[in-house]
Amino acid sequence: MKDIFRVSRMWRPRGELKKRYDVVVIGGGSHGLATAYYLAKNHGVKDVAVLEKSYIGSGASGRNTTIIRSNYRTPEGAAFYSRSVKLYEQLSADLDFNLMFSQHGHLTLAHSERAMVTMQERAEVNQLLGIDSRVVYPEEIARLCPQINLGPRQTWPIQGALYHAPGGIIRHDAVVWGLARGADRAGVEIHPYTEVTGIERTSGRATAVETNRGRVEADVVVSAVAGWSTLVCGLAGVRLPITTHILQAFVTEPVKPFLDVIIVSAQMHVYVSQTDRGEFLIGAEIEPYTTYKSIGTFPFLEYSARHTLELFPQLERLRVLRTWTGLCDLSPDYSPILGRTEVENFHVSAGWGTYGFKAAPIVGTTLAKLVATGETPDLIAPFALERFHTDELVSELAAAAVSH
Amino acid sequence: MRIAPQPGERIDRRKPFTFEYDGAKITGFEGDTIGSALYAAGRRVFSRSFKYHRPRGLLCCSGDCPNCMMTVDGVPNVRLCVEPVRDGAVVRAQNVLGSLDRDLLSITDKIGGPFTPVGFYYRTMIRPRRLWPLYEKFLRNVAGLGKIGENGTHRRYDTEHRRVDVLVIGGGRAGREAAARAEGDVLLVDEHGGGGALKGRALGIYEGGLVPVDAGDVLYRFRAERIVVATGGIEQPLVFPGNDLVGVMLPNGVRRLTRDWSIKPGERAVVVTADDAGLEAAGDLRAVGTEVARVVDLRSERIVQLAAVGKRGRLSAVLVDGEAVDCDVLVMSGGRQPAYSLLAQAGARVEYEPRRGIFVPTELPENVEAVGSAAGDLEGAAVPAASYDGGDGKCFVCICEDVTEKDVKRALAEGFDSIELAKRYTTATMGPCQGRLCHLQSIRMLARETETDEAAIGTTTARPPWGPVELGLLAGRHYEAMKRSPLHFRHEEAGATMMWTGAWRRPFAYGDPAAEVRAVHESLGVIDVSTLGKIIVEGPDAAELLERLYPNRFADLAVGRIRYGVLTTDGGRIMDDGTVARLGDDLFYVTTTSTGSESVCEWFEWWNAVWGYDAEIVNVTGALAAVNLAGPQAREALGALTDADVSNDALKYLDAKEITVAGVPCLALRIGFVGELGYELHCAASAGEHLWDALVARGAVPFGLEPQRVLRLEKAHVIVGQDTDSESNLLSAGMPWIVKEKPDFVGKWAVELVEERGIRERLVGFTMDGGLLPPEGAQVVENGKSTGRVTSSRVSEQVGKVIGLAWVRPERADDGTRLSIRIAGADHPATVTLAPFYDAEGAKLRS
Ligand SMILES: Cc1cc2nc3c(=O)[nH]c(=O)nc-3n(C[C@H](O)[C@H](O)[C@H](O)COP(=O)(O)OP(=O)(O)OC[C@H]3O[C@@H](n4cnc5c(N)ncnc54)[C@H](O)[C@@H]3O)c2cc1C
Ligand code: FES
Repeated sequence: MKDIFRVSRMWRPRGELKKRYDVVVIGGGSHGLATAYYLAKNHGVKDVAVLEKSYIGSGASGRNTTIIRSNYRTPEGAAFYSRSVKLYEQLSADLDFNLMFSQHGHLTLAHSERAMVTMQERAEVNQLLGIDSRVVYPEEIARLCPQINLGPRQTWPIQGALYHAPGGIIRHDAVVWGLARGADRAGVEIHPYTEVTGIERTSGRATAVETNRGRVEADVVVSAVAGWSTLVCGLAGVRLPITTHILQAFVTEPVKPFLDVIIVSAQMHVYVSQTDRGEFLIGAEIEPYTTYKSIGTFPFLEYSARHTLELFPQLERLRVLRTWTGLCDLSPDYSPILGRTEVENFHVSAGWGTYGFKAAPIVGTTLAKLVATGETPDLIAPFALERFHTDELVSELAAAAVSH
Repeated sequence: MRIAPQPGERIDRRKPFTFEYDGAKITGFEGDTIGSALYAAGRRVFSRSFKYHRPRGLLCCSGDCPNCMMTVDGVPNVRLCVEPVRDGAVVRAQNVLGSLDRDLLSITDKIGGPFTPVGFYYRTMIRPRRLWPLYEKFLRNVAGLGKIGENGTHRRYDTEHRRVDVLVIGGGRAGREAAARAEGDVLLVDEHGGGGALKGRALGIYEGGLVPVDAGDVLYRFRAERIVVATGGIEQPLVFPGNDLVGVMLPNGVRRLTRDWSIKPGERAVVVTADDAGLEAAGDLRAVGTEVARVVDLRSERIVQLAAVGKRGRLSAVLVDGEAVDCDVLVMSGGRQPAYSLLAQAGARVEYEPRRGIFVPTELPENVEAVGSAAGDLEGAAVPAASYDGGDGKCFVCICEDVTEKDVKRALAEGFDSIELAKRYTTATMGPCQGRLCHLQSIRMLARETETDEAAIGTTTARPPWGPVELGLLAGRHYEAMKRSPLHFRHEEAGATMMWTGAWRRPFAYGDPAAEVRAVHESLGVIDVSTLGKIIVEGPDAAELLERLYPNRFADLAVGRIRYGVLTTDGGRIMDDGTVARLGDDLFYVTTTSTGSESVCEWFEWWNAVWGYDAEIVNVTGALAAVNLAGPQAREALGALTDADVSNDALKYLDAKEITVAGVPCLALRIGFVGELGYELHCAASAGEHLWDALVARGAVPFGLEPQRVLRLEKAHVIVGQDTDSESNLLSAGMPWIVKEKPDFVGKWAVELVEERGIRERLVGFTMDGGLLPPEGAQVVENGKSTGRVTSSRVSEQVGKVIGLAWVRPERADDGTRLSIRIAGADHPATVTLAPFYDAEGAKLRS
């Protein structure tokens, strides 16, 4: 408690770049910072620099709608995200920073018979892995979320839902700052406003990165730049089967507690939660076109509002306060691309689409292990970039799209 | 409190309105807002602040700040200063425990300073973790402003699309002049209306010159060739201790109270101003009889100390450089900041001008113009200090979010040293006014504290909407596309249970699905298949186009014949399926799944363009009705309704023929999705009901989707999207026979790759050993691990078993292999069956 009165720096002010580091991590988002944090914490690798072209958390990590859950469709995916949720549950204590992780439960609505089958399938897969996930019907939905409109006059009547009690939301900036503080205290250097503009390759290895602040050599380079992955990996000559799209979200003015659970409707391309500040946080589906430009669109607001009101007509007079846009790096099978590339010491975390925030701690621990030991942890083996050459995709289509 | 009528006032004293405020009846006049009427009635405290629950009073009277937010008729967060009075409105204070004047939560103000420093919640309540939900519940309850009403309000909203040559946003002098100068079809919008302007608030400037305008219950979507932004300047507060006390106002607050509503704001006032606006306010105050005790013009007078002190949150005196002046009104004016937000959204750059201490827009995008104050056309203001000292009262940088100078300093000391990080950590600029009243101040303070300048600190990104906007207005009137087949009303009349399939409404069954299945097997059934996608492909290259799109052959299809086809993506994944009938050398009729018609059509058009073929592709799904007449008696029934020869020789299995049925010209396709002798009859939508009636009159029993699913499952026919997913390929789905040797087709490489490396899973039929029905989605397990999944399952009376389709490991895909399927937590045995469960040789279809 006394800690709160003491003003203590979260991290050291940015210093000069050294000529060389054991590990250079590109991207100061949740994944880059987590990787650096766990490198230092779990493996004692401390000569690490995180290079971030803007301020930390300026990418999708500071723009996402913070849904954390593990009720994925494939056994590979569900096992992976389930580990991540477990790590998140401990992370506030580990970092000694309150990330405000609130596991109020997560409902993925089904508005059709087909959707019900998908929910059933996910529940079955999840239960085999010990994940708390089951199909619920309107009576129970009414109990879990009395505010929702279950009336038959809805355009898409709710037939049931996948209920995932451990699903929740978290304070995204706190995750970024907590990890940054943890990494900084363990000796990692964080360099905001440091943009990687080139990657030098000699005989199949990445030897140095070029930045707006000079050249830096490294034994290992990790790219954790989500929406910019195709660009940064391109600098190393690594081509990724990824397209970048924008995803938008908005918040309303704050009101008193109204909604505890998270409501997701894939059919209606909308999901709704209420933050601890009282704002409604509402998001949608990615825009179908590819772009690196974070420019919002008006139709997004219109259809998201329409669909929100289908679910919660009571919110009609609530006002939208702020909208924003972030980049999403979409892989063909909606599963991440994680680990080694054809460039020997250049590793990647990409393909996070609209769902990567929940993976930060597991990405951090597994990539740190890969960097430190040279071995790919089993949990991430299915997500290797190589799978697109061997055609062993891990299709999360039914779980990842829209559902965050 | 009202003064005698004066020229120019905006109220009509002959038209009183009465509303209810916390149980009391309050009267105002036409032209009043609820806020002004309450002020005239003596109310000074209008709200309690977000974090510290400090009393707050009217500040901006522009609808920007949150100080006058209350709940009106159950709608939370209504800004009373701009909400017109109306009879019978019920107005309630919000976010208080007790009343506005005695709010128990204001304890947070007393102890809250030292005990809840900025970001305190990040550092506390961490252990033990199980207590967090309790803490959180408390946090959630104290956060938030108003309360959502239970039932909503059901307002009626409309959307209107308009096109203009020139759209001028902002009806001040500059805007009106620009509108007068402009040529062509010109429209002026202004938040407050008047002067010929449309009353509404432009929410943003989006790509393509789209400007949505919030006009209360109408949302205008303007598209303009040229946009002139004349949004003016935003009056800026000063930062000093006590700057949020009730009685501290911006010049506009005073102007509106005195001039528009003829209200005397208080007895004694002090004015501290960086520009003429404050001096004008002083004049306004004097005109209504308020004594102006002291005017500090920051342009000519340098002060170091400024503080407001109060009793119970209400202003009682102002300290200026040690001198105390008693007063109940303090006008503060920190100059105006160009309202550049719309311009920045449109892509303008924003630059700091040190001389005037403001940010101005530069490098405007094409077709966007800025005029007046919004363009930076502002003169004659002093640059006020980032903050003034003078006491130990709280000194607010951001009034909406209760962020103090101390909070900002602390954030900096902790390392949140850029505007973006400081914003997120302190939440300054993230309140209901969206930073209008604190963005500039936060930047100034960061510049001072980091010993850099405002230009180095920079601004945060300007994001729409420019002003909070109701969800209901954005949503507009609710229309969601629903598709009905031309036979829809026949199904309703027959009492069918309707269900959603994609955007379509379709009959699940008309009564007992099992009876409907029986009818098809034993006599005759008819199902509405109008929802199938129907595409005409015609032209010299039509055959070649299809040949390259599908893995099987179509160039060699004889005229009058039909072939089943499966479309795959360029990655070799199954995408859609259907039949292709050749109706002429250059004319094909393609059917798709019910959900696939648009995407398949686009797919065809895409490749047609890519390959440069000469083929016309027309989606005729909505124009045609289609029914499937199926059952052993189908030929007989059809024969009775047509003059055409429908004998097994004249209309063989997989023949397509144009015939007239019950007087309706039809395309008859002899195919059999449901496993019995059957004819799909496609005809004009308008004739669908007539055809349907004739078939039913001939004894055909209508059957719905559910019986159809049982029937097709008995044949082990795959439903794309149900039995396949986005990764399924032809070989693993058990359709190697469809892949033909040919130079190229979409996805060919992928098929070859799978051929080479072998399949990883396989779609098979299975029967349950017992009678338990696994749910679709059930898992196939080995040693407690998932190794496959059930995609379809039904009880089949005909087969006498529970049957289904499932994906399994290839090693477990041989006929007769035993499987374990997990149902409700227990494993149940099943057996792989590769042949269709019913009429495996297809004799019935050909009969
Ligand atoms: C609107 C929205 C909602 C979302 N909702 C959810 C959700 O509810 N749940 C969920 O789990 N996920 C969600 N996501 C996805 C999630 O936010 C991302 O997948 C995740 O944050 C990725 O984290 P990251 O650290 O890999 O990337 P980022 O946070 O994007 O970090 C990458 C960083 O790399 C930096 N960078 C880029 N190029 C360079 C360069 N050349 N040199 C140096 N630095 C560079 C960027 O500035 C950026 O800070 C959402 C995304 C968006 C946009
Ligand atoms: S004063 Fe309104 S957001 Fe800060």
